Amino acid sequence: MVEARDIRRRYGEGDAAVDALDGVSLDFPDGRFAAVMGPSGSGKSTLMHILAGLDRPTGGTVTIDGAEITELDDRHLTELRRDKLGFIFQFFNLVPVLSAEENVVLPLSIAGRKPDPQWLDQLITTVGLAERRRHRPSELSGGQQQRVAVARALISKPAVVFADEPTGNLDSRASEEVLGLLRHAVDDFGQTVVMVTHDAQAAAVADRIVVLADGRVVHDGEAPSAERVLDLMKEVV
Amino acid sequence: MVLGVGLVAGTYVLTDTINRSFEDIFEAGNKGTDVSIVPHEEVELEDEPPPFDAALLEQVQGVDGVEEAVGTIFGLVSLIGEDGEPLQTGGAPNFAAAARPDRFEAFEFVDGRPPENAEEVALDKLTSDREGLAVGDRLTIAGEGPARDYRISGVATFGEVESFGGASVAVLTPEEAQSITGKEGRFDEIVVAAEAGTSPAELKRRIDAVLPAVVDVRTGQEQAEVLSTDIAEDLGFLKTALLVFAGVALFVGGFTIFNTFSITVAQRTREFALLRTIGASRRQIVTSVVTEALLIGASASVLGVLFGLLIARALNALFKAVGADLPNTGTVLAPRTIVVSLLIGTIVTVVASLVPALRATRVPPVSALREGATLPAGRGARLRAPAGAALVVLAVAVLCVGLFAGIEDDNTALALLGAGAAGIFLGVALLSPQLVRPVASAIGRPVERLRGLAGRLARENTMRSPGRTAVTAAALMVGLALVTFATVFAGGLRASIDRTVDEDFAGDLILQHVDGFSPLPSAASEAVAGVDGVAAVSPLRFSESRVEGVPDQVSVTGIDPRTFANVSNLSFIEGSEATLTGLATGDALVEEDWAKENGRGVGDTLRVTTPTGARKAYAVRGVIVGPSALSGTYYVPNEALEVDFDEREDGVVLIDVAEGADVDTVEAGVTKVLDSGFPTAEALDRAAYKEAQGDQVNQLLALVYVLLMLSVLISLFGIVNTLALSIYERTREFGMLRAIGMSRRQLRQIVRYESVITSIMGAALGCVLGVLLAAVIMQPLRDEGFELSIPVLSILAFMVLAALAGVLAAVLPARRASQLDVLDALAYE
Repeated sequence: MVEARDIRRRYGEGDAAVDALDGVSLDFPDGRFAAVMGPSGSGKSTLMHILAGLDRPTGGTVTIDGAEITELDDRHLTELRRDKLGFIFQFFNLVPVLSAEENVVLPLSIAGRKPDPQWLDQLITTVGLAERRRHRPSELSGGQQQRVAVARALISKPAVVFADEPTGNLDSRASEEVLGLLRHAVDDFGQTVVMVTHDAQAAAVADRIVVLADGRVVHDGEAPSAERVLDLMKEVV
Repeated sequence: MVLGVGLVAGTYVLTDTINRSFEDIFEAGNKGTDVSIVPHEEVELEDEPPPFDAALLEQVQGVDGVEEAVGTIFGLVSLIGEDGEPLQTGGAPNFAAAARPDRFEAFEFVDGRPPENAEEVALDKLTSDREGLAVGDRLTIAGEGPARDYRISGVATFGEVESFGGASVAVLTPEEAQSITGKEGRFDEIVVAAEAGTSPAELKRRIDAVLPAVVDVRTGQEQAEVLSTDIAEDLGFLKTALLVFAGVALFVGGFTIFNTFSITVAQRTREFALLRTIGASRRQIVTSVVTEALLIGASASVLGVLFGLLIARALNALFKAVGADLPNTGTVLAPRTIVVSLLIGTIVTVVASLVPALRATRVPPVSALREGATLPAGRGARLRAPAGAALVVLAVAVLCVGLFAGIEDDNTALALLGAGAAGIFLGVALLSPQLVRPVASAIGRPVERLRGLAGRLARENTMRSPGRTAVTAAALMVGLALVTFATVFAGGLRASIDRTVDEDFAGDLILQHVDGFSPLPSAASEAVAGVDGVAAVSPLRFSESRVEGVPDQVSVTGIDPRTFANVSNLSFIEGSEATLTGLATGDALVEEDWAKENGRGVGDTLRVTTPTGARKAYAVRGVIVGPSALSGTYYVPNEALEVDFDEREDGVVLIDVAEGADVDTVEAGVTKVLDSGFPTAEALDRAAYKEAQGDQVNQLLALVYVLLMLSVLISLFGIVNTLALSIYERTREFGMLRAIGMSRRQLRQIVRYESVITSIMGAALGCVLGVLLAAVIMQPLRDEGFELSIPVLSILAFMVLAALAGVLAAVLPARRASQLDVLDALAYE
C-alpha cells in the first residue's frame, strides 16, 4: 500500500519557480495495477520519483506499507529501494557485464542475500528466459532485455513495482509481452504495480488510470479500453 | 606530460646551473692569474695529477714580462673535526690549499686572518658554518702522512661563490700545504701575473718556450675554460642518466595521453558523426583533434618548463640527501632548455594523439542518429596483436644486438638497449588487450571472492574495454618494469660483490678510507703491521697508464710481492708463486684476460707512459688470474708505482690475520692504532666490507627508485583519468544501480577495486617484464658473478604498493561516482 498526501514539488525559486506537483493525494492499494498518464511536463515522472524515494517533495508525505519515507536519510532510502521497491526503466535497465540471471538477482546480490531458487526459476520461466540465463544483455533483444528487467523488479517480492515508460523503447509485440508480464504479476503474484506511461495501449492493461496535468490529478478511475483512453486524454487534458 | 617535460627541463636547468657554478668557482680561483702552469696530463687519473718540480718556478720567474709568479698547492686531504671524526662533506672532496699573495688570493676573509705559521689554518665559511668551527677552534688534517692538528686563524669566502660545491677547503701556509699533501719540493700549479704591457697570450708563449713538456702553460682564461670543460664532461653522465629518466617519464606520459585522447574521441563519436553528416571531411576531423593535442601539448610543456625549475631544486636536494652536494651559484634557464622542452613535450603529445585522431575519422556519419553509437573497430584493431608480437620480437632482437654483438661504441650499444626496451614495452602494450581478459580475470577473482558483487562488477568492468585497461595498465607497467629491473640488477650486483669478496680475497680485514674511495696514507699500513695477530699487511695502489700498442688507458695495480698471495686467491697461468715473490722493480705480472686480448706474455716488455709523463719499460714475468675486480690490469711492485707513477698512497690495504688469532680481537687492535693516528682509515672484516659495498649499491638503487617514482606518478594520473572517464561513460548504469538500491559505499568499492585490479595488473606485467629484461641484460655479466635472483619480497612489496596506489588513484573518481545524483544520472543522455 502506497499513500501520497498533498505532494508538492517546486523547482527553482522566486519568479522562476515551477510547481511540478501542486498538491497530489493518491492511494495505491495492494495487488492493483495503476497507470499514471499525462502529457510531457504534467509531473507524472516527478510523482513516480517521489513515490519511489528517488526525489524529495517540497511538501506532503509518502508512506509505503505504513512507513513514512519522506523523512528518511539517503542510507535508509537506499535500503528501502533495495528491499521494498522494484524498478523498471525505459532503457538501460541492465548491467552489461552481468548475465541475464545475475541481472535478475542484482537487488538481492546488492543486499548480500541469496535468491530463493524456486522463486528464481519460476520468475525466469515466467518471463521466458529459461534458455538465456547465461546470456549477456548485448546478446538479448530489446524485448528480452526488458523482460529481464521485469524479473529483476519482482525478485525481491517488493511492496510495489515502479515502471517508468517500460514499453517506450519497444516494438508493439515486445510491448505486449512486457505488459502481459506485469498484468500476470498483479493477477497471479498479487504484486502492486505503478506504471508511468503516455502510451494508451499500455495504460489500457492497467486496472486504474490516473491522469495528471500541470501537477494536478485531473482524472482517476477504472481503466477503459485503449480507444477510450485516447478519448479520455483528449477530454481531460 | 607536465611532469615529463618538467624532468627534461629540470635536468637541463640543474646541469646548466652546476656547470655555471663551477665556471664561477674557477673564474674566482683564477683571480689575478694571467698565465697558469699545470702538470701535463698524458694519462687521466681518477683523482689529481702528480705535481711537478718546484724548480720550474725559478725558470718562470726568470722569463721576461713576469711581474710575479707563485707556486701553489691544491691537494686532496681529509679534514677531521674536534671529535676526531672526518667531516661529512656529502661525497664532495676536502682540499688543502696554499695561501697566496693578495693579488692571486681568491679567498676573502670574513673573520680572522690568513694562516701565518705552520700551526695555523683558514677554513672556508660554508664548512665553518656547517661544522660550527670558529676562529680559535682546532682542526685536524690528514694528508699523505699521519694527521696533524691546527688552530683556525680565519674564515673566508671564495670570491662571490656561496658554496664550493659542498667541498671544504683548508688554507695553509705554502710550505705546510706542501708538507701535509706530501708534495715537498713540488707544486700543483704556478700562477703568474704579467707586467703591464705584456699580454697573457704573449707571456704564455714566452714561458712555454722555456719549460719542459711535463707541464701545460695556459692563460688564466684558458685554464678556467679547460677546468669547466672537464667538469662538464664529468657531469655529462649525470645529464644523460637524468635525461633517460625524463625519457621514461615522457614515454609513460605518452601512454596516458594516448588513452585520454582515445576516450575523449570515443565520447565525442556522435559529435564527429554530426560534423561528418553536415559535410566535414576526414582531414578536417583529424586536423581538429591534432590541433587540440598541439595546444594541450604546448601549454602542458610551458607548465612543464616552469615545473622544471622546481624539479631542478628537488633533484639538487635529492642528490644532497644521498650524499652528493652540487654547487649552486644561481639557477640557469638556458634558451636551449626552453626550446628542447617545449618541442619534446608538444611532439610527444601530438604523436600520442594521432591514432585516436585517425580513429575519429572512421566514424560513419549515420551513427550521429543512433543511440549509444560506438566507434568501429577497423583494421587497426585486428592488426594490433600481430603487430605487437612482431614488435616484441624485433625489440628483443635489437636488444640482443645491443648486448651481444660486441658493439664498441658504448653510446650506440646503450641506444640499442634503450630502443629495444622501449620496443618491448610498446609491443607488450599492443599485445596487452589480449592479456587483459585472462590477467584481469585472474587478479579479480580473489577480489570477487572477498568482496562479492562490488568485486564482481569491478572485475568485469576492467575486462569490458580491454584496450583501455591495457593502455592504462601499460603506463604503470613501464615504470614498474624499470623499478623491478633496477632491483634485480642491484641484487645481481650485490651478489657479484659478495662473490668477488669471497672468492678473490683471502685476507681477513680490509682497511679503506671512511668515504669508501679516497686513498690512505701509506704510513697507516706500516703502523698496523705491528698489531698483535697481524700476519701480513698487503697494500694495493692504483694508477693509470698508457701502454705502447694499446689504444685505451690501462689501469695498473701496485702490490707488495711478498704478501699479495697471502691476501688474495691467485692462479698462475705462466710463472709460479716464486715469480710473484721475486717480482722486482722493472718487472710486471699481467692479468690473463688483458694478456690474451693484447697478445702479451712472458718475455714481452710493456712500454708504459706514467701519469708523471715518465716513460718506463716493464718486463712481463708471469701471467696470473687475480681478483676479478682487478681484471684488465697489470701488476707492478708498489715501489715502482711510487717512483714511476708518483702514487704514494694506498688504495686499500688487505690484512691477513695469523692462524689461531681471533679476527675480532685483531680488528679491535687495528682500529685502536688507526684511531690514534689515521682517523680517515677504517678496518672492516669481510662481512662489514660486503655490507659497505652493498650499501653503496642500495643508495644508488634508492636514487633510481626516486627518479622512477615520477613515471609511476604519471601512470597513476593515467589511472585517475581512465577511471574518471569510464565513470562518466557509465553514469546511467550507476544511476540505475543506485535506484535499485546500491549504496554509495558499494559504488565507491566498485570504482576502487577496478582501480586496484588495473594497477595490480600493470604492476604484475611490469614485474614479470622487469625480471625478464634483467635476465636478458645480465646474461653477459654472468662471468662477473652476477646472479639472477628474483627478489620475491620486493616484488610482493611492489604489488602491495601498486594496490595501495590504486586505492589512492580511485579516491577522487570513487567519490565522484558515489555522489552522482540518481535522478540526474538516470536522465543523463
